[in-house]
Amino acid sequence: MIEVKNLVRTFKSGDRTIKPVNDVSFELEQGTLASIVGKSGSGKSTLLSLLGALDKPTSGDVVVNGVSLASMPDGKLTEYRRRDIGFVFQQFNLIPNLSAVDNVMLPMEFAGIRKAVRLARAKELLEQVQLDPEKHIRRINRLSGGEQQRVAIARALANEPKLILADEPTGNLDEQTGEHIIELLSSLSRDHNTTILVSTHDRQLANKTDRRFRLQQGRLTEDPARTRIAATAPA
Amino acid sequence: MSVLARSVGNAFRNKVRTGAVVAVLAVAIGLALSMLVANQAVAAKVTELNASVGTVLTVNPAGGQGFEGGGEPLTAEQAATAAAVQNVSSVVGTKALRLRNATAAAAQAAAGTPAAGPGGGQGGPAGQNTTTLTTSLTAAVDAGTLGNRNQAAEGTTGSTGTTQPVRSLPITATGIGAEVDSTGKALSITEGTGLGGYAAASTNALLGTTLAEKNGLKVGSTFTINDQTYTVAGLFDAGTTFGNNALYVTLPAAQTLAELPGELSTMIVTINTLENVDSTKTALQSALGTDKADVTQGQNLETAVSSLDSVKNISFIAFVAALGTAGLIILLIMVMLVRERRREIGVLKAIGAPNRTIGFQFVLEALVLVALGSVVGAAVASFASGGIASALISSNTSTTTTATTWRGMPGGAAGFPGGGAGLPQGGPFGGASQLLTTVTASASPGVIATGIAAVFGVAIIGALVPALLTARIRPIEVLRGE
Ligand SMILES: Nc1ncnc2c1ncn2[C@@H]1O[C@H](COP(=O)(O)OP(=O)(O)OP(=O)(O)O)[C@@H](O)[C@H]1O
Ligand SMILES: [Mg+2]
Repeated sequence: MIEVKNLVRTFKSGDRTIKPVNDVSFELEQGTLASIVGKSGSGKSTLLSLLGALDKPTSGDVVVNGVSLASMPDGKLTEYRRRDIGFVFQQFNLIPNLSAVDNVMLPMEFAGIRKAVRLARAKELLEQVQLDPEKHIRRINRLSGGEQQRVAIARALANEPKLILADEPTGNLDEQTGEHIIELLSSLSRDHNTTILVSTHDRQLANKTDRRFRLQQGRLTEDPARTRIAATAPA
Repeated sequence: MSVLARSVGNAFRNKVRTGAVVAVLAVAIGLALSMLVANQAVAAKVTELNASVGTVLTVNPAGGQGFEGGGEPLTAEQAATAAAVQNVSSVVGTKALRLRNATAAAAQAAAGTPAAGPGGGQGGPAGQNTTTLTTSLTAAVDAGTLGNRNQAAEGTTGSTGTTQPVRSLPITATGIGAEVDSTGKALSITEGTGLGGYAAASTNALLGTTLAEKNGLKVGSTFTINDQTYTVAGLFDAGTTFGNNALYVTLPAAQTLAELPGELSTMIVTINTLENVDSTKTALQSALGTDKADVTQGQNLETAVSSLDSVKNISFIAFVAALGTAGLIILLIMVMLVRERRREIGVLKAIGAPNRTIGFQFVLEALVLVALGSVVGAAVASFASGGIASALISSNTSTTTTATTWRGMPGGAAGFPGGGAGLPQGGPFGGASQLLTTVTASASPGVIATGIAAVFGVAIIGALVPALLTARIRPIEVLRGE
């Protein structure tokens, strides 16, 4: 259960201030698969970073299972990111000189999981995102954009987080692989009761989510029914 | 992949830069280690010097030192007086003789040059009742430039450019009342035995190693002094060329040879403890009378110790400075690395790495660089430290040592008429430089280990600052460009 309460994030650029997140409130039940769509620059990444405790809101609060992020000290926020959150960055943000497996193992190392267990799980996750086994030990900067994106997804799943925040997770993938990733995410929400919030430009992905949000000039609105979007959107 | 493996990997991300950093670190660490080795060697020497000769006083006739000067000779009665002074644990009398090779002396006399006897070449009128005798031995030291000048000079410097006949150097024979050398240090006997009873006249003698070698003598061989046959009872090594061109006989034997029974050249007085040395020196001086005897405390030694002390200080400061430099290098390079990897640090934080893990990773990376620098630096130090130590010692002591050596030596080079290649190998009163040259700066594993431990300590401090800087980087950095 995640509650977002009157979240505001403003940036100053020169003498004018922009509000990519402007009084955003919503709630997500545990196990929900939700999506946010919106134009480029509408504030999707900014909102996700606030939910993921990467950034601090100008005002408002995020309450996760009854605990307010605003009241957490930095050390607890780090723990929250490590244990409760899986973040898939728009720019992947993998460690370039480490291999795919090592990157996926990192969050588990920080969580204190034994090496053998980490390795086994990392390999399993990379298989789930359909990365060629021969590329598991390849350094990140020798993988393609789509391959890197899948490593980033695998890394986000490493510590079995309760909440996955994925910033355009299929942006660099072909249709077939993208569909597979969507399947993977929906099975996680269905079978593991994981809450998943994805930002996307991909209508096909958005259509498969339980709830669909739209971000426009910092304001969040929800598309009420799944069928309406599906009906009005030409294939 | 563990933190350590990641740190090692990170240290080699930019191989060229790593190489450069390691090279610079190696220079600083090598210098630090060399300085530490020099410091330790000198400190050890100072302790050794203080311990070995610290409690020994030398009594000379008033106005005389060595073969020089004037005044009344010391007597056996004065030795008894000295022995009665409180805190004096032993008094050893010595009687110095100057021996000349019989053949060479005859040749020089024939050439019309007076053999340098007391009051001869040394410029001082009638040295302290030293008697020159003839011997079958040949000096082990070649006259050389210094020797010739010393033997010829009649208190003038006019010998330059004038052809001089080849001269032979005298051999110092000392009658000793115990198994110590003329400075009171125990004799180091390398072959044979000591003289046994030193209080009775005997025809046994101890020869310096080089003197014995020069004359083809072994333990049991014989030679003559003034037609009296002596047997070589043992060989000793005084550690210097000059010191080894000498022989020792028992005190009564020397007194008999000099035909001056009961007379002493010097007395070596040993004080029971180091603390009592100063007071006993004063007591001894007043017991013997200032007009009769000079009591000295091996001032050359004090000078040696004080110049060694300054070498010790300089090397320590240099060690600390080099250590600080190594720390600074680490600090700067790590600050640079932290700035460069800002985004990556942000990523690590974004996926939940605690600050301490990230800080630890950077400290480890710094230590990898320092470890490499230390390996190279230690290799550099083990080759360079000897040279650095002696360079330090010679540059720092040349003035003071020379001053000491020359003090009270009319017309001449270092101390006794030493010869050979012109190295001022001092006699008993010119010993500072000689003491210093025996400082051996060897890079012992213990000292190197201590030094490397210090380097690591400083490196950890140096790396801690940038590591702590990483704590200030916010995870949101990852959402921004480079
Ligand atoms: N640190 C910042 N300082 C100033 N402005 C910022 C900062 N971060 C984001 N912005 C601005 O906030 C707005 C929202 O950015 P955000 O990255 O959230 O958009 P987005 O919806 O994720 O876009 P895209 O679909 O292209 O990823 C943009 O106009 C951006 O320029
Ligand atoms: Mg974005």
